[in-house]
Amino acid sequence: MKLREYEAKNVLRDAGIPVPAGFLIKQADDVTVHLDALGDAIVLKAQVDAGGRGKAGGILMADKNTAVATARELFGKQVRGLPVREVLAEQKLDILHEYYLSVTIDRAAKAPLILFSDVGGVEIEKTAKERPDAIRRAVAMPLMRDLPPFMLRELSGKAPKEVGPIINRLYRVFCEKDALLAEINPLVVTPQGVFAADAKIIVDDNALARQGIRVNRDLSEREREAEKHGFSYVELNGSIGVIGNGAGLTMATLDLIGYYGGNAANFLDVGGGAESERVMNAVRLVASVPSVKVIVVNLLGGITRCDEVARGIIAAGISQKVIVRLAGTNEAEGRKLLFEKGYEMLDTMDLVVKKAVEVAA
Amino acid sequence: MIYGDKYTKLIVQNITGKQGEFHSGLMNAYAQQIGGRGVVAGATPGKGGQQVHGVPVYNTVKEAVRVHDATASVIFVPGAAAGDAIMEAADAGIELVVAITEHIPVHDTMKAIAYARNEGCSVIGPNCPGLLSPGEVKMGIMPAQLFLRGNVGVISRSGTLTYEVVDELTRAGIGQSTVVGIGGDPVIGQTFTDVLERFKNDSQTKVVVLIGEVGGNLEEEGAKSSDLPIVAYIAGTSAPPDKRMGHAGAIAEGGEGDARSKIARLMKLGVPVASRPSEIPEMVKGLFRSC
Repeated sequence: MKLREYEAKNVLRDAGIPVPAGFLIKQADDVTVHLDALGDAIVLKAQVDAGGRGKAGGILMADKNTAVATARELFGKQVRGLPVREVLAEQKLDILHEYYLSVTIDRAAKAPLILFSDVGGVEIEKTAKERPDAIRRAVAMPLMRDLPPFMLRELSGKAPKEVGPIINRLYRVFCEKDALLAEINPLVVTPQGVFAADAKIIVDDNALARQGIRVNRDLSEREREAEKHGFSYVELNGSIGVIGNGAGLTMATLDLIGYYGGNAANFLDVGGGAESERVMNAVRLVASVPSVKVIVVNLLGGITRCDEVARGIIAAGISQKVIVRLAGTNEAEGRKLLFEKGYEMLDTMDLVVKKAVEVAA
Repeated sequence: MIYGDKYTKLIVQNITGKQGEFHSGLMNAYAQQIGGRGVVAGATPGKGGQQVHGVPVYNTVKEAVRVHDATASVIFVPGAAAGDAIMEAADAGIELVVAITEHIPVHDTMKAIAYARNEGCSVIGPNCPGLLSPGEVKMGIMPAQLFLRGNVGVISRSGTLTYEVVDELTRAGIGQSTVVGIGGDPVIGQTFTDVLERFKNDSQTKVVVLIGEVGGNLEEEGAKSSDLPIVAYIAGTSAPPDKRMGHAGAIAEGGEGDARSKIARLMKLGVPVASRPSEIPEMVKGLFRSC
């Protein structure tokens, strides 16, 4: 789950990384009490759970006199389709230079990867392509609590001496907060010192509980509902609902829909143990999406009981057509149950998907 | 076969849990059917002295290893404690850990794999179905009835999709040497490269089916490292960017790891890529004809 900027900056501040003076406000007038602390030049940043905020008008400049009016303007806006409920009012920094710093996971090295670039403030992917030499990288040893000093020297190069310790502190944040990404872009040099001007932290969804995070804000309401049932669910925008077991098989089912010219409405992995109640909940959840015209159920597993699955589909009692591919134990009984209720059961995933694409067309 | 054979003695960590108990039973049923050793002991802290399907349970992996001389461990320990379980196995001298557990925090996985590497222990998974060498050994949860002994090695990040492909291969009369589910997490122990290296040294394996998915670039890295004939399939061509598709590792982020560019890179390496799972058997037959 992605932390909001002010949350990420609180984490950095607690870890000893300097951040600009800033205050979270929930209504425009609240900015007035902070004007003395903020100084003459102020940045107002919408705290919405969406990327590309700046381009979408979610970041506005102001001064002492215009702060309230500008905050009011920002609270009245939609940024990337989201209402602005929280604004971070920050002191505007006097920037002399911008660096890029991040810690992420290197899948090949199976370890944290630290990236530092003398060119910050821009899209790092672009820099990586155009000036690969401008990015320095180091792989950490996961069993060490701190990065060794030589690594900090190599990464920071000619940057000011405060930067080395900041890199190590961000590495610690990355480990202690169970992060998949901890990024400061830009890390800026000002006459007053080095500051994290922006911050991004993504917490591992598998570690939310031990990080004390109860609600995963990255999920939509329906995705959260699915999570309660133990399903993996992703919303897409087609008309063919998909229920599978196992992430790979479910993904392959979506891809096959694309191959035959259809559009999937969702990804739903029911997970292990497809008992009738789980299947019923899954079918109802997918059927509740207004755009869904037809549902493909593709379940395969040595131990999946087809009669259980059939009962779940029948119990869901939905209005849309359900096309089923089942392989497992008690196949004949499952097929009979479905056939009696007028459901179609086909033998391969190619057949079910082809049929669903025809129905949806 | 790779990683183990009929004579490999297994232990199961958290054999007293629901999944551990159930799958220990299936592993031993398979071992009995083919005349292999199977699961010789279990380990669950605080449950020493019990028996599960007639298999003795110990409090620690060390005790289980000392008494039974086991070399491989299959882990069904829940996510929060699974990293610790991997390290306990490695410390006890286990050579191969198969970590079935899903939802291990990735920082725990990184630490556990680094620790295991130091102890000379290989880790398959986490978040994987394990491996099966037909007629030799089953370590994990793969449905054995779908398999047929033969010369095709299969490496996959997925579970049920692997069963789908194995089922297609078996129906087409194409047997498998070893099928390895390497896991759906972003950080896993044995990668495509490691398993391909083992297949290279395995005289039984002639052709490899590589089943990958959106996220990372370990499929391409593996294909680059090996000169074995490979047929690939990559799931997730319809996955939107920055969305996690069920597996923690199945995500294209920062403009990297999307399925289409992965397929393009594999094809550039000369690896034929199936556009549907059902195409795989014919493509494998084609490679057998040409090798």
